[in-house]
Amino acid sequence: MIELLAITDDPSPLRSPLRLVPAGEVGVVVAPADEGEADAEALWRRESLLEDLMRERALLPIRYGTRVEDDAAAAAAVAPRAGELAAALERVRGAVEVSVRAVAAGDPEPGPGAPEAVHERLAAAARENALHAGPELLRAAYLVDDAEVDGFVAAVRALQHEHPELSILCTGPWPPYSFAEAPER
Amino acid sequence: MSGKSKVLAGPLDGKLDPFARELPHLGKALSRRIDADPESVEQGLAQLVLTIVELLRQLMERQALRRIDGGGLSDEQIERLGTTFMELDRRMEELREHFGLEAEDLNLDLGPLGKLL
Repeated sequence: MIELLAITDDPSPLRSPLRLVPAGEVGVVVAPADEGEADAEALWRRESLLEDLMRERALLPIRYGTRVEDDAAAAAAVAPRAGELAAALERVRGAVEVSVRAVAAGDPEPGPGAPEAVHERLAAAARENALHAGPELLRAAYLVDDAEVDGFVAAVRALQHEHPELSILCTGPWPPYSFAEAPER
Repeated sequence: MSGKSKVLAGPLDGKLDPFARELPHLGKALSRRIDADPESVEQGLAQLVLTIVELLRQLMERQALRRIDGGGLSDEQIERLGTTFMELDRRMEELREHFGLEAEDLNLDLGPLGKLL
């Protein structure tokens, strides 16, 4: 079994244990499937591989745990969607995902417009954004140009100072997990 | 590697517990019998839990090829990993030994992680 890690369109070779399987106009980054228990260490190893990779080429992360029998099966799974995935790669090229969540800090309760105001300002500093459902007042992912990440984090800090009624948590940079699919058409 | 922090910016007062508190059992574990250095224990645990939660959350977001036939873990399987992680995590063990906490204090039930994620 092999595990599918990411889609890329950079044909240059990968370092072991990663391999590139061509699939139409894109390629699939694969690795031998980890037979061990899926634990936190294994997840971080996988995350580190992806993060190293995203520093050198555009990629779309593939859902964790996606496994197929062999290279032929990997290519067969990806090739029919190669065009769509190539377009999605253009969308994320040169950018990373930054995740932001906001909850109430305590007293006073945040006004109804506060999370929206935070989102609006951050969305303006990002290439794209994705709002996710969740228990927080705001749970969102932002696609931020590599060169703009520091500025984005500074904007988060400024917003935190402007909104002491909120607790804002900003994590990243992540592979573009929330932007890996072609936009809805 | 297991405790890699992905936090770029946190709340004004530096306290992450408003986020960690979403995990129902964490608050209880933190509030009980921590007298060594409550601040740093709390921060260490909150950071640890958040880091894992953030990664898990990312792994569960919509991603390329999520509908691939035949391969892949179900959402439920991924959620169940949460519990295993917390028990296996070596850094958790280190924290526990360092601060003399009982195992049950840190036996965080991440079962409801699904709701958080």
